[in-house]
This record gives sequence, C-alpha cells and structure tokens, in this order.
Amino acid sequence: MFEESKVAFFLAKRSIIRGNKGTLSLTILIIGMVFVNLIFLPSIITGVAVLFNQQSIDYSYGNLVIEPKKNQVFINNAGELQRKLERIPGITGVSPRYVTAATIVYKGNEVTPALYAINPDDERTVLKVSTKVSSGSFLAGEDTGQIVLGFRLAGNENEKLDAIPSLGGVDVGKVVEVTFNNGVTRQFRIKGILTSNSFSVDSNAYITRKEYEDVFGLEDRANQILVRTRETGNENEMRNTLLSYGVQEEIWTWQEKSANFLNQIIGSFNIINFIGTAVSLVIAVIVIFIVIFINTVYRRKQIGILKAIGIDRSIIIKSYLFQALFIFAIGTLMGGLFLLIILQLLAANPIVFPGGPVAPVVDLPLIIRSMVSLFLVSLIAGYVPAWITTKEDILSAIRG
Amino acid sequence: MIICQDLTKVYGMGAVQVKALAGVSAKIRKGEFVGIMGPSGSGKSTLLHMFGLLDRPTSGSILIDGVDVGALDEGARTQFRLRRLGYVFQDYALVPELTAKENVYLPSMARGMAAQECTLVCSEILTLVGLGDRIHHLPGEMSGGEQQRVAIARALVNRPTLLLADEPCANLDSRNSRIILDLFQKLNRDLHQTIVMVSHEEWHMQYFDRIIFMKDGLIEKEERRSDEGERHGTSPGAEGE
Repeated sequence: MFEESKVAFFLAKRSIIRGNKGTLSLTILIIGMVFVNLIFLPSIITGVAVLFNQQSIDYSYGNLVIEPKKNQVFINNAGELQRKLERIPGITGVSPRYVTAATIVYKGNEVTPALYAINPDDERTVLKVSTKVSSGSFLAGEDTGQIVLGFRLAGNENEKLDAIPSLGGVDVGKVVEVTFNNGVTRQFRIKGILTSNSFSVDSNAYITRKEYEDVFGLEDRANQILVRTRETGNENEMRNTLLSYGVQEEIWTWQEKSANFLNQIIGSFNIINFIGTAVSLVIAVIVIFIVIFINTVYRRKQIGILKAIGIDRSIIIKSYLFQALFIFAIGTLMGGLFLLIILQLLAANPIVFPGGPVAPVVDLPLIIRSMVSLFLVSLIAGYVPAWITTKEDILSAIRG
Repeated sequence: MIICQDLTKVYGMGAVQVKALAGVSAKIRKGEFVGIMGPSGSGKSTLLHMFGLLDRPTSGSILIDGVDVGALDEGARTQFRLRRLGYVFQDYALVPELTAKENVYLPSMARGMAAQECTLVCSEILTLVGLGDRIHHLPGEMSGGEQQRVAIARALVNRPTLLLADEPCANLDSRNSRIILDLFQKLNRDLHQTIVMVSHEEWHMQYFDRIIFMKDGLIEKEERRSDEGERHGTSPGAEGE
C-alpha cells in the first residue's frame, strides 16, 4: 500500500512539476475562488446576525425583559421592583416602560406606531436610543407635551421615499395630535427625530412615563421592564439569579424576544447561503472533474501503456487523486490568503447594510466545514474520471 | 520457456466474428530471439498480446516458466507483467513528464526496489543501451531511436523472463532500426535475454534465431536461422549504405 502510494505520488509530483502550468494555475485559481465563496457569504451572514443581535440588545430589549405575570396587564410597584433589580450584582441598568399603540396625525397624515413611554434617564442605562437623535434632542425626565419620533415615522414630503406609512415629512418643532387607546387626544411638540439604523427604533414614537401615566391615570406601573447586564451571553444565568431574588414576573431573554424576527432573517439568508455553497461545490466538482477527465482521456494511451508494463490501476488512480488533492491544497491556501486580505479590508471598511455596518465574521467551524467539503469534492472529482478512464482494457487504451 | 497450446482468439459477437488466432501452438525456449512475421491481419500482434498478458485467449493455454497465466486473476497478471515480462511498443510509450532515468525507474519503483538500488540499476541499464549521458533528458528532448532505447531499458529494468517487442522499429529510420536490433541482439547474446519480436520487415530476419511465419491466424511455417553468418547478413538498409 505504501509502495503504491509512493509510486503514485512520484507520478503525480512529476506531472504537476512538468505538466501544463497554465491549466494547473487556472484550476488552482478557480478552486481558490470557490473556497473564498464558501467562506465569504456565510461570514457576511454571521456578521449580519451579530449586527442584528447587537441592535436587539442596544435598541430594543437590553439583555432581559421583564413582563407582567400571566393574565395581568401591568407590573405593579414598578419602582420597587426597579430598585430591587438595581441591587442585583451584574445588572447595570433597569428601565420600566409602557408599551402601547397610538394614532398620530399631522396635516391629514395618520399613522399608528408603537408608542413607548419611558423615563429617559432610566432608558439611557439600558438602551442607546437616546444617542441616535439626528435632529433636535431626546426627551428629559419631566418633559410633557413632547414627543420623539423615528425618522421613518416622520417620513418624507414625497411619500414615495417612505418605507412605511409616515407623517409626510414632519420635523422638529412641529405639533402632532396623538390619540391614545383610551380615547384621550393630546397635542405633542416634536422634540427630536431618531436615526438609528434599527428599523424598529426608526419606526417608533417615544414620550415620557410621566405623560403616559397622566393620560391613563396610572402610577408606578409598567408593562415592560428592560434590564441591562454587565455581560452579554449569560442571560439564562442572570434570569435564574433574578428568580432567586424573588422576581415573580415573566422574564425573557433578548434572544427569546427577538427569536422569530431574527430566525426569519437568518433563515432566509441561510437558504441563499445554501444555494451559494451548493453552486460553489458543483463548480468545484465540474472544474476538477473536467481537468482530470481531459487529462486522463488525453493520456488514455499512456495509461494503457502503464498498465501494460505492470503499473497497477490503483497506482494510476491514486496519482490523479494526489493531483486533485494538490489542486485542493494550493487552491485552499491561495483562497485563504485572498480571504485574509478581503477580511482585513472589510474590517477597516465594513459593508454598510440597511441595518448598519457589517463586518464579516469567520469562525473556525466554518473554515473546517468549507475545507472538508472542498476536500471531499476534490477527492470525488479526482477519483471518478481516473476510475472511468483506467477501467478501459489495456489494448483498447493503447490503440486509442 | 513459453508453451502455448491451441490458442484461439475470436473477436466480435454474433454473426460477424473475426478469428484472429485459429489454434496456434508454439514453444519459445529460454534465451531464444524469436521473430514473428506475417502480413497484416495474420495474428502476429494478437499472439504477442497473449504472450504479454495484455489479452486473454478465447481458448487454449499459455505456460510461461511453468505458470499457467490464463488462470491468473487481473491483479496477479499485473504483477506478472511487472516482474516477469518486459514490453517494448511501436511508439516508445514513455511518460512525457519523466526523464529517461525516471521512466526506467518507474517499474522498479513499483516493484518495491529501494531507491538507491533503483538509481544504480537504471544508470547501468541506460549505459547498456547507450544512453548513459542522456539520463536526465525528457522524452521530448530525445530522438525516436533514443526514446525507443529508453523504452527498452524500461522493459529490462526488472530483469524480465521474456522481452516482448511489438514492431519496435516501425517508427524509426533504418539507421536507428539497426541500432535497436543490434541492441536486442546484444542483450540476447550477452544476457541470454529471451526476446519475442513482431516485425514485418524482411531484413530484420537476419537478427532472429527463429522466425514464426503466420497467416490467417495460424502458424504457416517456422524457420530456424541459427547460423551466425545468416544472422549477420546484409539488410536492405545496409545494402544501400
């Protein structure tokens, strides 16, 4: 077996060194590009997932979301719960809020966005929404009659530019009419416009808790409390900690709250990625197969002669396998170097997606998976044509 | 020694059948230089292919040094070709990416010979065939005659029981043909190498100990040319020079 491999390696090595350099280089280049494609698209998808995850934490949920117990609308004594939570080690911010829907009208344009009633100071400890004011300023603690809108909600005068129903290009200082779901209607001056790259934030409206409680006659309640923890990734552990401190409300992690939305997006991307990967591997199979097949068919007579002088068929097949593996190895190495350059460039200049800048994320399992799949594809694409050509009987091969 | 008995080879299926060998029995003794001659389609190459284990007879048997080669499976036939037979083809059939030395090296390497021994044997044999100074040249850098000598060296490297040559001079001019035939003769005389060679050139007959004439798949006649004078008669090529 070892002797066979030695002879096969000898034949493959000489064929590579003294064979057609142009064909070999082109084949290696194609395999290199296939390897880049196998890694690049998934790394972008992972980058998008990382971005969306971070956006979920920074702009929508924090790390944990506390909601009322089953069959209850509000969390009572929200202030007391907030203080309890703030004392728990590992928690860096707590923000009780009311989440509702309201109808906002401006010059005949009517929208029904999600309306968040927040304590701006508490909100700053959990989310980064307040840092994304593109025009005007964010809410202050005692503000009444003031509203902050996402830029998508504010919209454009030319409604064709709007991605969602909007107020038709309303700006800071203008007054809008807000009708709450208890029927109360109030006028609000627009204090600020948010531009965050987070679709949900840019489509929402924000007022103070004080205003909301005044409209609804509520006090010290909330229907959502957001919690920021010092570390991200240990949410389940922190949930248990909260339970051990006697928090009896429903506790959700940000992953659970954003699961459906994220899963749909990532699921869609993964389908595209699967198609891309399959096409890449098919290209790799076809290229290596054609190169080896043409090589073997062109050398059909030579293969017949080698068999005639006593060189075992398995040695000849192995020699082509070694050539295919050489193409795989150098192609992968070259593709890896090319990928490294692309990743460096993109780390410095990330691609700006609608959701924000995305830097590709390459992890070891992805590299290993790509290498293994390309390795297997190379083996098959090298073996099959060599097997087919060497199957021919000696005399037919010699006669050509 | 090769002994073949009632060899037949029928090509084709059904109604259209071609009988390439129609019952050939022959004996090749150790150390003989035998020529197989005859017109096209007489079955001379088919017989050589049977001796070289490149094809299987439809019926009949072949014994090479007492081994019934017809009973060997494909793996054993490959090993037999590698270890016991040497084959020289009409068109040299060298691996273009291998140098002269590497082409010769290949069968001995496949046989499992140590690298050092391989190198030594290859150099010896290439010197024997007159190519001691061309061992690092690729086939593309050598003339047809030189390539054929490399092919002969490759056939000899594993010290075969039997050297088979299928019209080895067909692609060579008369000068190079004579070099090759002289080389065969030298190998036959000095190393007692058994050689069976197919040829259709009449002037080659002078080199053979014995000639088997074939016609229509049968041995038409045999002619022994053991006399030294006869074996070194003038060739048509030589006459002209």
